Amino acid sequence: MSTATKDKLILNKKNSLRYDLTKNAFAYRAIIPYVVFILVLVVYPVVQNIIISFQANGTWSLANYLDVLFDPLFHLITINTIIWTVSCVVLDLLVGLGLALLLNQDIKGGAVFRTIILVIPWATPDIVAAVAWKWMYNDMYGVLNDILMKLGIIDEYLPWLAVPNLARLAVIIANVWKGFAVSAMFYLAALQTVPQELYEAAAMDGANSWQRFTKVTIPVIRPYIITTVMLTIIWTINYFPLIFTMTNGGPANATDTFVTYAYRLAFRFLDFSHSTAVSNLNFIIVFTVAIIYTLSLVGKEE
Amino acid sequence: MKKKSWVKLIVYVALFIISGIIAFPFIWLIITAFKTYPDIYAYPILYFPQNITLEHFKYVFVNLGFSKYFLNSLLLGVGTAALTILISILPAYATIRFNFFMKKPVLLSILICQMFPQIVFIVPFFLFLKYTGLINTFLGTMVVYLPFTTPIAVWMIRNFFADIPKSLEESALIDGCSRFQAFYKISLPLVIPGIASVGIYTFIFSWSELMFSLSYLTSPSKQTVPVFLSLFIGQYQTRWGPLFAGSVVASLPPMIVFGFLQKYFIKGLTSGAVKQ
Repeated sequence: MSTATKDKLILNKKNSLRYDLTKNAFAYRAIIPYVVFILVLVVYPVVQNIIISFQANGTWSLANYLDVLFDPLFHLITINTIIWTVSCVVLDLLVGLGLALLLNQDIKGGAVFRTIILVIPWATPDIVAAVAWKWMYNDMYGVLNDILMKLGIIDEYLPWLAVPNLARLAVIIANVWKGFAVSAMFYLAALQTVPQELYEAAAMDGANSWQRFTKVTIPVIRPYIITTVMLTIIWTINYFPLIFTMTNGGPANATDTFVTYAYRLAFRFLDFSHSTAVSNLNFIIVFTVAIIYTLSLVGKEE
Repeated sequence: MKKKSWVKLIVYVALFIISGIIAFPFIWLIITAFKTYPDIYAYPILYFPQNITLEHFKYVFVNLGFSKYFLNSLLLGVGTAALTILISILPAYATIRFNFFMKKPVLLSILICQMFPQIVFIVPFFLFLKYTGLINTFLGTMVVYLPFTTPIAVWMIRNFFADIPKSLEESALIDGCSRFQAFYKISLPLVIPGIASVGIYTFIFSWSELMFSLSYLTSPSKQTVPVFLSLFIGQYQTRWGPLFAGSVVASLPPMIVFGFLQKYFIKGLTSGAVKQ
């Protein structure tokens, strides 16, 4: 490449930047206030949270993180968070996809089923869902024990929220009830993008419905499944009101997650240093998933 | 292709049973809210109560001042929605109409911000609100909601702007409109449905938000419905009756809104993640 063309290229680049600023002046004026707003209300607090977490006894220190990482309670809470997130995400995927397939059937009255199945759990405020489930799980007067007894599944009333493993199961079930609807909506929207001709072609080739599902449906909606699963991971890790209201992390910290633990440290014990350390560890995980998700989404937009 | 009728039957039966299971927790909440106290604690459990009572609703409104919390939630929700819309419209418009250098980084950061955990902000926002004197005010709480409501708002309004043909504005520009006039006289009126759905979405977010409101609205006179319910559940020996009555009333606004506008919302919500 000759020097002249190189110069020309550089010149062009300079020009295009200035051109960009002039031509899109309106856009920049419209966007800059929002960027400033994000900086003040998002970036600054995040930085501040990091700074607080690295301070102990008036100096910079790793002490908060070391305290947290070597605390057996934190190990239990890490295991809780993994169990909680993995179970909820897998169940949201299975229930959400299964119901989306059912609701995608072209039948009369489909809209009514769709409203009941998708809108009721979704529109119920978190706190109300927690109240409703806490009452259903009540060991003496709860309707769940009664129904399970009548169905012969259990032979004595279970103290759902008082035994660690049962409590874990209980909050997971309640959360799947509250959360599957959003997954189902995404999958329903995804299923509607599958071209009908593909099914017809597969049927002509003699594929049965299971083969049509695995060979046509799944490959087409795979990107949407990945997107939805990543969003569900983020939402589930961060989800607070249900556990806080139903068990507040108990019994014996069995349902404590990073979020409920960090919240309790901050506002029950006023221990901001350790609370910020926990929330930052949680943040690293969420941020990683969020970045992967966002990049894949922006890639799709192009 | 004609579906076999027995397949349809199975789908119907499955949907019917599943609808029943899914609706049950909510229906049970409503039934219990109308039961008398002896019936609430009856053994065996009364599935179809004979005596229906409004005593819990009366108690929660008259004795516990529920209308105050309801109004607080309403005020907080409307304020948050208004601020969110005001802030989100211009960025939404700019990122759809213009192809500028910083567009991708801006969109990226908006998307990522949307996924930041609330818990990371709980301590910094507490210090921020204390420092600015906005702790225990509705305005302060609205402000700390904005990082969580504006990203999705920008995204949703963007999708509505995207449906407006560019030529509409171009002809307005030729007719002598300024850039800003073209925006607010031509495009803005056309995205009012989008703005409305963002407003409702934000309202519902604020309506059920618990973590921030519990921590930052500390005086009883400022408490919102979720804060009231969560404190009530932990307070005394839980008094279930008023708790259920309050919960039923608290569910009404989102149920009504989502019930009527579900198609709209599902489109707005999924269009970010699922491109058709």
